[in-house]
Amino acid sequence: MIRHHPDQNMLLEYAAGNLPWAVSLSVSAHLQLCPQCRRHCENLNHLGGNLLDDSEPQPTADDALQRLLDRIEVAERQSAEEPRTATDTRADKRGSNDPALANLPRVIDKLVRNNWPLKWQRVSPALKMSRLKSGQDRYEVAFHRIGRGGKTAEHDHRGQEVVLVLHGRFSDADGVYGPGDFLVREPGEVHRPIATQDQECLCFSVVEAPVAVTGLLGWLVNPFLSFRPG
Amino acid sequence: MQVPQDRDDDWSKLLKLVGGKRDRAAFERLFNHFAPLIKGFHHSRNSQAFSADAADELVQEVMFRVWRKAPAFDAGKASASTWIYTIMRNCRIDMLRRGSRHRDAASDIEVEDIWDESPEGQPLVFLQKSRDERDIAEGLRNLPAEQSHVLKKAYMEGKSHSEISDELGLPLGTVKSRVRLALKKLQTSLIRSGAE
Ligand SMILES: [Zn+2]
Repeated sequence: MIRHHPDQNMLLEYAAGNLPWAVSLSVSAHLQLCPQCRRHCENLNHLGGNLLDDSEPQPTADDALQRLLDRIEVAERQSAEEPRTATDTRADKRGSNDPALANLPRVIDKLVRNNWPLKWQRVSPALKMSRLKSGQDRYEVAFHRIGRGGKTAEHDHRGQEVVLVLHGRFSDADGVYGPGDFLVREPGEVHRPIATQDQECLCFSVVEAPVAVTGLLGWLVNPFLSFRPG
Repeated sequence: MQVPQDRDDDWSKLLKLVGGKRDRAAFERLFNHFAPLIKGFHHSRNSQAFSADAADELVQEVMFRVWRKAPAFDAGKASASTWIYTIMRNCRIDMLRRGSRHRDAASDIEVEDIWDESPEGQPLVFLQKSRDERDIAEGLRNLPAEQSHVLKKAYMEGKSHSEISDELGLPLGTVKSRVRLALKKLQTSLIRSGAE
C-alpha cells in the first residue's frame, strides 16, 4: 500500500501547471500508481474547469474564428492525404530481463526508452545511479539503485529532493518505503537510505540544482551533491 | 458578450457532436462560448498572465486542439469545461516551454506524457461527477476572498506558491495554508453532499 503521497500544495501546483517539469514527472508517475491522488487531481482539474467557467469573458480578435476554421481546413486536408505516421520505431530495445524495470509507470518507461541504454555508475558498493535526460536543467533526474540490504552513505543536499520508490523497499530513520511511495526531502534534511534484505531497491529521484557543488571528493563521498542537469 | 444560457452538460453534448460527427456548427458554438473565457482566464482585469496578443494565440491553439482531440472526449469522465481546462493548461505549458532553451531533442518527453488529458481511471458515475463539479463551483463562490485569491493566482496567473508569497509579501507557509484551507472547504462541500 502506498503510504506517502505528494501533499495538497504540490498536487495543486501540478494541476495548475506551475510545478517544475522534473518534479511534475515524479508526480505524474506517482499518479499512475495511486488512484487516491488521481482522484484528487481530477477534482483539482474540476476546480480549473470551474475557474474557466467563472473567468471574465474577453472578446477575441475579430477574425479569430475564421482563422481557426481555415487552419482546421488545411489540417484536415493534409491528414486526409498523408498516410498514418509510423509508431515509435524505438519501441522496445530493452532487455526484459531486468525485474526492476519491468513494470514502470508509463511516463518513466518512456524516459527509460529515450535514455536507453542506461549508463549505471557505481557510486559506492551498495549504490548505483543512472542519470536521465528529461528536457530541463533545473533538477538532476536519475535512477538510484540500492543492492539488497545495501547501506548508502549519510547525506544531505542543498536543494529539494523528490524520491519515488519504483521497486523494492528502503528504510531510513523515519520509516520504510515501498513502490509508489513519494518522498520530499527539504534542503538540509539528512538521511541514510538502506535497502531491505529481500530485494534490491530502485528509486526515481529528482534533486534541485544545489547552490554549490563540493567537487570531486564530495562527489565520491556523496553522490547527491554532484549535480549534472538532465 | 455571450452569456452561457445552457447548462454545462449541453457544452459536453456539443463537444460529443464535434468528436463523433465532426460537426462544425457545434464547434462554432463551443468556440463562441469558450474562446472568450479562455482569453479572459489569461488576460483580463483579474489576470495579466498573458498579453492580449499572446492570449489570442493561446485561444487559437487551444481551440485547434479541442477540434483535433474531441473524438477522445469522454463525458463520463469530465465536463467540457474541465476537459478544455486540461487542454488549455497543457497548451500553456507547451507555449512557455517552446520559448525555453532547455529543451533537448534527445528527450522527447511531451507535456501530455506528464499531464495526461485522458486518465485511464474508472469512469465516474455521471451523476456523481456532475455533483462533484457543481459542489466545487458552489464551494468556490463561498470561499473567503483571501483563499480564492491564491487559488486564482495559481491557476490563472500560473504562479507557484513561492511566487505568490513573493508577490503578496506573505510567508510561504501562509500561502500554503491558505491553499490547504481552501481545498479543505471545497472538499468538505463534497463530503457533505455524500459524493465521497
Ligand atoms: Zn498518492
